[in-house]
Amino acid sequence: MAAPTVLRRQLFPLARILSGLSHLKPRSLTVCSGHRRCAVSRFPPPLTPSASFHTATPLSSSAITVTEEPDVLFQKVLVLVKSHDRAVLDSYEFFATTAAQELGITVGKVFEPQKDIERVTLLKSVHIFKNHRVQYEMRTHFRCIELSHITGSTAKVYLEYVQRNLPEGVAMEVTKTAMEKVPDHILKPMWEDLPADDKPSQ
Amino acid sequence: MAASLSSAGTVRVLLSDFQSTLARSSLLCSSSGSRGLHVTAACCKNRAARTRVGKGEKPLTYEQAFHPHHIGHCKGWLSQHTSNLKGEEGAAERTMEDVFIRKFMFGTFHGSLANEIVLKRRGNMLIVCALMIQKMSPLKFYFLIGYTETLLSHFYKCPVKLEVQTLQDKAVYKYI
Repeated sequence: MAAPTVLRRQLFPLARILSGLSHLKPRSLTVCSGHRRCAVSRFPPPLTPSASFHTATPLSSSAITVTEEPDVLFQKVLVLVKSHDRAVLDSYEFFATTAAQELGITVGKVFEPQKDIERVTLLKSVHIFKNHRVQYEMRTHFRCIELSHITGSTAKVYLEYVQRNLPEGVAMEVTKTAMEKVPDHILKPMWEDLPADDKPSQ
Repeated sequence: MAASLSSAGTVRVLLSDFQSTLARSSLLCSSSGSRGLHVTAACCKNRAARTRVGKGEKPLTYEQAFHPHHIGHCKGWLSQHTSNLKGEEGAAERTMEDVFIRKFMFGTFHGSLANEIVLKRRGNMLIVCALMIQKMSPLKFYFLIGYTETLLSHFYKCPVKLEVQTLQDKAVYKYI
């Protein structure tokens, strides 16, 4: 059952983050958080050398709002990260699981789906020599972190933190399974409420 | 031993390419006394990103010393983005951007690049990491860095950051 009052932290909205964040196309200016006020002709001030791209933007609308509507409950939040480098995924998994433990989120299971290799066989020479070929391959390694029984606002905060610190060359896909209250009209079977029929119809 | 020689030769060639070595191995496996004439297609060795061996006077950086099949083992990636992963799009556009940025950097900092440029894409941001030789005064370097950042961010409509490290000379790994 959802709690009646929820303290919700209103974070700066990040477009397209919740449904699969991969490399964002550089064409769209609006995606970059904090740069909404900038016109197309003006580019943001130079960032400090060691900063990741979130620290330079002041959160203008970071008000804490208290709403009456119940928070969304997620049974399972699946975070799948993909990369070409397994070592990067190892360190990112350590970072994400530690962050979840610090925030008090229950980490379900952390597993590694099998890597996917895409191979291409091409002719080695520009002209003839059909018997001599060259093979290239692209390996994609995966890592899946499953968080269970998490509220909507916690999920938002955690995902934003974890996504702002995504290393370069790493893509993330988030799948959320929400829980909803069973509608009242199907709680009880219909035949219990009907008046008892004396004779069955023939 | 003729047999061991032929097996070593076959293994070495198979490692680098996909070619058929039947003609070569049959020649070597024949009786040690006779030599036959055989004609095969040209043994096309791989030439991608490999410096041809010289007399010991060619200096190579770590990047140049290792061949492309060492990427992931002892070499890193020069251009890091997500479009080559499974289920991701935009590989061609990123590659075109990369090529342009490398040519642009090579031309702007002419003669002062010590190594290949590393491109990283984090979210919307493009980070260009470059190693430079201290050929010009720092003032000129700063101007060129600002110029590059401004121009590239206007071209690609995204924040572009340049991370530059300077060296006295090129870092040589070995001589070939």
